[in-house]
Amino acid sequence: MKISLNWLLEFVDLPTTDPQALEDALWSLGHEVEGVTRLEADWRGVTIAEVLTVSAHPDADKVRLCTVTTGGEPIEVVCGAWNFEQGAMVAFAEPGAVLAGGFEIGSREIRGVMSHGMICSEKELGLGDDHTGILVLEPEAPVGSDFAEWVALPDVVFDLSITPNRPDAMSVLGIARDLAAFYDLELRLPAADVRGVGGTARVGVKIEDPTGCFRFATREMTGVRIGRSPFWMRHRLRVSGMRPISTAVDVTNYVMLELGHPLHAFDVDRIMGDALTVRRAQPGETLITLDDIERSLTADDLVICDDAGPTSLAGTMGGAASEVHDSSTNILLEAASWDPPTVMWMSRRHGLRSEASARFERGVDRELPTLALARAAFLLQEIGGGDVLEDGSDVVAVPFERRVIPLQVAEVERILGPGFSNERVATLLTSIGLSVNGADPLVVTVPGYRPDIERPIDLIEEVARLHGYDSFDVTVPTGRGGGWSETQRLTRRVRQTLVGLGLSQATHLSFIGTEDLDALGFDTHHAARRVVMVKNPLREEEAILRTTLLPGLLASARYNLSHGAEAIALFETGKVFFDRPDPSDPRIPDQPDRVAFVIVGSLGGGELDSPGRPTDVHTATAVWRTLGQALELPFELKAASPPGLHPGRAAEVVVDGNPVGLVGELHPSAASHYELPGRVAVGELDLAPLVTPRPPHPLATPSTFPPTEFDLAFACSLDLPAGELVVATSKAAGALVESARVFDEYTGLGGDQKSLAIRFVLRAPDRTLTNEEVAPVRQAMVAAAAGLGAELRGGS
Amino acid sequence: MQELDSVVASAPQKIAATTGLEELEELEAELVGRRSVLASIQRDIGALPPAERPAAGQAIQSAKSTLTDLLSTRRAILEREAADTLLVADRADVTLERLTLARGALHLIQQTMDEVCEIFIGLGYNVAEGPEAETGWYNFDALNTPLTHPARAESDTMYLHYEVADDESLLRTQTSPMQVRWMESHEPPVHVVVPGKVFRTDTIDASHLPVFHQIEGLAVDTDIRFSDLKGTLLHFAQAFFGPSTTVRFRPHFFPFTEPSAELDVACFVCDGGEAGCRVCRGAGWLEMLGCGMVDPNVLEAVGYDSTTLSGFAFGMGVERLAMVRHDIHNIRHFIENDIRFLSQFPS
Repeated sequence: MKISLNWLLEFVDLPTTDPQALEDALWSLGHEVEGVTRLEADWRGVTIAEVLTVSAHPDADKVRLCTVTTGGEPIEVVCGAWNFEQGAMVAFAEPGAVLAGGFEIGSREIRGVMSHGMICSEKELGLGDDHTGILVLEPEAPVGSDFAEWVALPDVVFDLSITPNRPDAMSVLGIARDLAAFYDLELRLPAADVRGVGGTARVGVKIEDPTGCFRFATREMTGVRIGRSPFWMRHRLRVSGMRPISTAVDVTNYVMLELGHPLHAFDVDRIMGDALTVRRAQPGETLITLDDIERSLTADDLVICDDAGPTSLAGTMGGAASEVHDSSTNILLEAASWDPPTVMWMSRRHGLRSEASARFERGVDRELPTLALARAAFLLQEIGGGDVLEDGSDVVAVPFERRVIPLQVAEVERILGPGFSNERVATLLTSIGLSVNGADPLVVTVPGYRPDIERPIDLIEEVARLHGYDSFDVTVPTGRGGGWSETQRLTRRVRQTLVGLGLSQATHLSFIGTEDLDALGFDTHHAARRVVMVKNPLREEEAILRTTLLPGLLASARYNLSHGAEAIALFETGKVFFDRPDPSDPRIPDQPDRVAFVIVGSLGGGELDSPGRPTDVHTATAVWRTLGQALELPFELKAASPPGLHPGRAAEVVVDGNPVGLVGELHPSAASHYELPGRVAVGELDLAPLVTPRPPHPLATPSTFPPTEFDLAFACSLDLPAGELVVATSKAAGALVESARVFDEYTGLGGDQKSLAIRFVLRAPDRTLTNEEVAPVRQAMVAAAAGLGAELRGGS
Repeated sequence: MQELDSVVASAPQKIAATTGLEELEELEAELVGRRSVLASIQRDIGALPPAERPAAGQAIQSAKSTLTDLLSTRRAILEREAADTLLVADRADVTLERLTLARGALHLIQQTMDEVCEIFIGLGYNVAEGPEAETGWYNFDALNTPLTHPARAESDTMYLHYEVADDESLLRTQTSPMQVRWMESHEPPVHVVVPGKVFRTDTIDASHLPVFHQIEGLAVDTDIRFSDLKGTLLHFAQAFFGPSTTVRFRPHFFPFTEPSAELDVACFVCDGGEAGCRVCRGAGWLEMLGCGMVDPNVLEAVGYDSTTLSGFAFGMGVERLAMVRHDIHNIRHFIENDIRFLSQFPS
C-alpha cells in the first residue's frame, strides 16, 4: 500500500514531515515500511502559463506558433503538439529552465522563428508516460505559479505492508488515524457535502442473498462528463500505484485509496431493467469481467445482476457490459458490504485478486458506504459536473451493530504488566476512535472500521501497540529446570560419533520419486512402497514422502562427485514416512526417525602414498560397529540380501534380537542409477531402538593379573561367517575371554575350504591363569568350532 | 712428583679438546691407564722411603680422582652429542602431511539449532521435537487460524493423501503445532523450545526452500507478561549475536498470538543504516523472528485456563539465523550438501 505524505497531511496536521521520523512512527504502530520514496520535481524553472494565441507557423505545417504568458509580457514559443487551443493552461519551461535528465531550455530558432522556451508534456517532466501531446492543466491552475508547488512536490511515498488484521489501514484515512493517535492530534474527514437534487433514481436494489451481502447502497448522477481526470487526481493515483483510466473509474479508485471502501461505477443506461439484484450465480451462467475474460460462474459465486443476468462479480470485479464509457452521462455509484470469506473464495476461484477483493476479503467498514458514496459523488461532480440525485438506495439486509466489549484493567495488567490506570487505557483506546465508558470494567464500543477487535485481548493488543512496545520493561523468567532428554543426548551422540569417523551431516528435502524406489529395487509388497503421497507436490519427481533416507544421500554423493570430490562420506538423521498409523497418534502417518550414511571412494584420512582404503562392505560395517560401541549396544550382523544392496555383501543389523536396519554395499545397478562409481558403502538404521534410555552400567574393574594369549587357526567352509566362529568359540570359553579377533583369513586352501586364524586373550579378574586351567577351556573352544564344521589346523 | 703435577695441570685442556668418544678413550688410557705416567709413578712408589709413601700415595689418588672426574664429565657431554647427532639424522619433514585423520562436520543447520536450544536450556527450557506430517487441527485450528486464512491454501501448504477422520493430513508449515501437543501432554508451567523441519509450497530459489527449519519457543505460567517476552528474546539475541546486540520489537499479526510482535536485530555489520550494507541493505535492521503473547483461544484449545494462565511464544527460521551470521546469500547451499560447504563449519 503506497501512502503519499501530502495526502496524509489533508487528514492530519502532522508535527513533522521528516520521512525518517514518520517511518519510525509507522514501524512502531505496526506498519511495516517496505520502502520510502522521496518524490522531487525533476525540473527547475517550470511555471504555469496561459496560452494567449495559437497560429500557424509560416514555414512549417507540423508545428504551431504560440504566445503564452506567465503573468507578464507575452512570450513566443513554437510547439509541436496539437491537443490544446487558445486559453489552455500549460506547464511552461522558460529559457534557463532545466527539465528531467538535465535537459536545458534556451531560446532557439525553429524554421526561422525564435522560440523562447518550451510547453511541456507529462513525459518531459517525468510525471507520466503520456507524450501524445502537451500537459493541459485545469482552467483553475494559477498563472505564474511554480508548477512544482502546484503538483504538490516534493512528496514522500511510504510503501507499507499492511497486516491482514488491519483492513482499515489499507487507506490514507486509516494510516492518518493511527498517526493522529501516535502524535495525539485531531483527525479531519474529507469534504463530502454533496448537494442533491430531486428526481427519482432509475435503478432499485434487491438483496436476495443476505449471507453474502449485508448492505448495498447506491447514488445516481445525471449529466456527468466522462473523460480524462484532472492532473492532480491522475498524479495522486499514479503516486499511489494505480493507473488513471477515466473520470468515473478514477474517482472510485481515489475514494478507495482515500477511505478504504471499494466502489463501483455503472453506466445507468447500460443497466437492463430497473433494479440491481444481488444473488448467488446459477451454474452455467457466465460473465465477461472488465479484463475482458469470460468467467464461468458457480453456485458459490455472488453476483450483481440486472435483467440480462450477472453484470458484476461481487466485491471482486465489475462486468464489461455495464462499464462506464467516455460517452456515458448517467452514472450509478455503488458501495456494498460483502461477506469477506465469500469474496475471498470467489477471488481465489477465479484467480482474480483486485484492489477491491483484497480489501473486502479482510473486511471493509460496514458503516462507511454512505460517506464513501457522498465523497465519490462530490468528487465526480466537481470534475465532471452533472447532478447528484437526492434519491438513492441503501438496502440493509443485515444491520451492523457496533461491538461492545467490557475490559478489566486488571486483565490488561495481567497480560502487559503493571502500570496501566483506567485513564491511561481509556486514553489510548479513545485515540483511535473507540468510545470508552464506565470505570471497571471499561465498556468499549468498537466502530465499523476495526472489524478485527472482537475480544478483550484484541483491546489489550491495541493498548500495547499504542503504548509503544519500546515502553515496556524487559524481564527474563526461567523454567523450572530443563535440558536435553536422555533420548536427545543419545541422538546427539549418534551424530557426534559419525562426525568423529569422518562423515559429514547432510540435510535433504523429505521427498523422493517412484524412480528412486525402482532404482533401489523395492518390490510392490515391500514396506518402502507403503508411501504417503503429497496431494499438491511442487514437482512430480517429489510427490512421495521418503520411506528411506538413502535416495537423498546418494543424490548428494553424485552432486559432490560431479563437483570434483573423490572421497565422500555423508550421513543424515531424519524422518521417513509410511502409510500406516503412527503408533503414538493414529491421526498422523507413521514417521520414525532414521540414521543413514553413504561412503564413496574412501572414508576419512589416508597416507601419503595411499589415499585411504577403498570403500567396501567392511567400511560400512565398521561404521556401524563403532556406532554400536559408542552407544554401548552390541550390533549383531546377519548376512542378508535386502533390496538395493549387493546380494553377497550386505547384512541385517540386529540389536537384542530385533532387526534395526541394514548395512552393506549398494547394488551395482542402484549405484549406476545414481552414477556412483566403484563400491558404495551404505547403511540405514531405525533411530528409536538406538537412543532408548538405558540404566547406567556398573564398572567392570580392569584385571591386574596377566593375560593368557594364544592363537587358533581353523579350516572351515568358505560359507561359514567368521562372526559365527568367533561367537561360538568365545562363548565356549565363557567369562574368561577378554577379546577374540580374527587376524587372518586365507581362502587358498582349495576345495570349498578357508582358514580363519583367531587370537584369543583370556584373563581372570582375580588370579593368574595356569596352563592347567586354560587347557580344558581351549579344548571346549575347539569342540565348539567343530560343531560349526571348523577343524583345528594349528595353534600356539 | 713434579711430573704428576704437570700431568694434572695439562689434563683439563687435553680432555676438553677431545671431539669424540674414541679420542677420549685414548686420552683416558694415556692419563690413567696401565701405561700412563700416573701408573708408572704408582709403580715407583715402593722405591720411596717409607715415611714419604703415604703422602705420595695420597697425591696419586687425588690426581687420579681429579682426572677421572674430568674424563667422566667429558664423556657425558660427548655421549649426549653423539646421541643428538643420531636424532638429527632421524629428522622428518614436519610440514609433510603424511597421515590424515578423519573428521566430519555437523550440518550448519544442526549446529545452529543446537546452539539456540542450548541458549534456552540455560534458561531452564526443555527441548521437544514433533511429527512433521500433521493434522489440520494441530497445524491450524488449534492455533486459532481461521478457515479463510491464506496459509491454508494449497499454494502455501502441502497436503497429504492420508485418511484421517474429520480432519486433513498435511506437512506442518510451522513448528507451532508442537506447542499444542506439548501443552496437551504437560501441565503448566511450560518452558519448551521445538526445533524441526517445516514445509511450504515454495519453489526453490536463492531465498526459498520448500523444506526448511524453524525453532519454536513457548512459555506458559500464571504470571507471564509482555516484558517477559521482550526480556527473553533480548537475552536470546544477545547470546546468539553478541552481548552488545540491540533489538527492536514492533507490532505485527499472527493468528495464534496477541499482542504479536516482530523482532528486528540491529545490523551487526554496519550497525544501522549504511546504504550499501550487504547484510541489511541499508535498512539498519534485520527481521529475525515473530513472537507474541499466546492467544487465549490457543490456551483454551488445549484445555488450559486462559483466565489464570498466560504465556508467550516465538518462532524463528534457522536458515535465516545461519545466513545472517555467516553472510550466506543463497539458501540452496543448505540442501546441496557440498562437502566444501559442510567442512567450512566444523563441529
